[in-house]
Amino acid sequence: MAITMESNLKQPLLSYSTKRRIAQVTIYLILTLFCIISMYPMVIMVLNSFKSNQEIFINPAGLPNEWTLSSYEEIFSSHTGLWRNYLVSMIVAIVTTLGSVFLSALAAFSFAKFKFFGRNLIFAALLATMMVPMELNIPGRYLLFAELNLLNSIPALILPKLTPIIGLFLIRQYMLSIPDALIESARIDGANYWTIFWRIMVPVCAPILGAFAILQFMASWNDYLWPSIVILKQEIQPIMIVLPRLTDETGFQKVWGTIMAGNTLATIPIMLVFIRYQNQFMSSMTVGAVKE
Amino acid sequence: METKIHRKSESLSINQSRTKRKQGKSWGEFLTPYLFIFPFLAFFLIFFLGPALYSFVLSFYRYRGYGEAQFAGIDNYVRALDYHVFWTTLENTLFYWVGHAVPMMALAFFLAVLVNSKLVVHKNFFKPLIFLPQIVASVASALVFQNFFGTHTGALNNMLGTDIPWLEDMDLARWAVVILLVWRGIGYWFIIFLAGLTSINEEVNEAATVDGASSFQKLFYITIPLMRSTFLFAFIVDGIVTLRLFAEPNVLGGRGGALAPVEMAPVLNLVVNNIRGARFGDAAAVGWILFVITVFITIVQYLILGRRRKEQ
Repeated sequence: MAITMESNLKQPLLSYSTKRRIAQVTIYLILTLFCIISMYPMVIMVLNSFKSNQEIFINPAGLPNEWTLSSYEEIFSSHTGLWRNYLVSMIVAIVTTLGSVFLSALAAFSFAKFKFFGRNLIFAALLATMMVPMELNIPGRYLLFAELNLLNSIPALILPKLTPIIGLFLIRQYMLSIPDALIESARIDGANYWTIFWRIMVPVCAPILGAFAILQFMASWNDYLWPSIVILKQEIQPIMIVLPRLTDETGFQKVWGTIMAGNTLATIPIMLVFIRYQNQFMSSMTVGAVKE
Repeated sequence: METKIHRKSESLSINQSRTKRKQGKSWGEFLTPYLFIFPFLAFFLIFFLGPALYSFVLSFYRYRGYGEAQFAGIDNYVRALDYHVFWTTLENTLFYWVGHAVPMMALAFFLAVLVNSKLVVHKNFFKPLIFLPQIVASVASALVFQNFFGTHTGALNNMLGTDIPWLEDMDLARWAVVILLVWRGIGYWFIIFLAGLTSINEEVNEAATVDGASSFQKLFYITIPLMRSTFLFAFIVDGIVTLRLFAEPNVLGGRGGALAPVEMAPVLNLVVNNIRGARFGDAAAVGWILFVITVFITIVQYLILGRRRKEQ
């Protein structure tokens, strides 16, 4: 009885392996389609950067009829001076990244490896402020920088970004997992705490410091709100503030070729680093959300 | 297991040696931990906590950046809540949140399920490609989309052969912002959901397979219920981030460096406008209202998640 039922059921139109094959091809097709959609805006960004400002109006999506580097020349020409804005962005991102990684690592070392009066209280208080959005303190911060005479200056872009609590938290977590024996033995060998920090903790914690550095660099590079408030002098605005405002002499028509060249220059270097270190990038950029 | 025990005994011995040293602790020893946290704390207090508290005080004053500040009580808050623009921008922000979060999360989850499938061999090829839009700066991607949606010169109208005012008609422009947010955000949540999927116990799925469940049945009766609290968490976190949305709508809808028109502006535009107009008290009040909304959403999240946990 059971056998006859089996044989009745086992008359499928397609064999199991063919079905599997069809499912696989379908999934690959869908994924490829999605990858094309996610790449498409970047492709037109790069293509448009090789067109003249005029050609983009007629031919906004296709390959350039005439490949030209004129948009890139604009960026480096003296009358736009956009290379200076790149320099500002670069300096701000690098100093912010190095500074915040250094400060956070120092403090994290203390919170992870020392016992001192007030440690848990201070740390809990710092964590609690993670609820406070950065944007909330902008009015107070603006007046503070006005008071310090630092409006329209590069330090105004760096100083407020040096102490994200998330970095302190992540680095401390990592340091907690490092055995105390490492520190104790260095102490016995006569190393002072600074040497222990610089020569032992920093190299050992390189993975988490690198991950946090990526996070910070991207945040600084992408920052838009605070720089657009605090820097009104065009020569020292970060590139992300200048690009949306690029127009021709009339002041109404955007110079799309130059803008796309600017976008490409702002995106491609990061993308190359991403392709080289993709796994580190993906895990460090999503690390903030996986706290739970 | 063995190594764990070993480590524990190690740290115990360190604690003992520490307590022994305690009596002879020099001033240097005592100060060291404070010296290590001092630079961080100093910058934090001066440039974060100080201005935050200052903003709180400011929100009760009328202050134009010079001269005497006048105490205004809760006037700034009342004025903000009375101002129809506040409600328009809040509605826009909520629209951006719900409008982009639902399709974005659904697509991100769908892609994560596909990539997680055993049939996909080239996982490491698809993962970075799907994540890639996240690498592009929000301003840069907003500019590309502005070009793409242009009325007379944009790629979309060019392909369709139409002249649809995607960015000039405010209802359409809000959807353009949503499309940009979805495009840019999928990769992020895709990676998060993929991590969640790989952490689901294989045995559950195998047991279901033995019982004759199809892939779809496993997806709808095992995977999705198990991921439910992850979805809720993702939706709330994304909401808190979206409350602070600024670059995307303003770059997409702004012309010549101006902010986006009110009909598509996010709440933060009020903070910026008030600062530009030197109404620091009003700017601070709007910031604190935003904070209260954030806290409210977070509390609702914990209540719902807490109830879920009890039910399970």
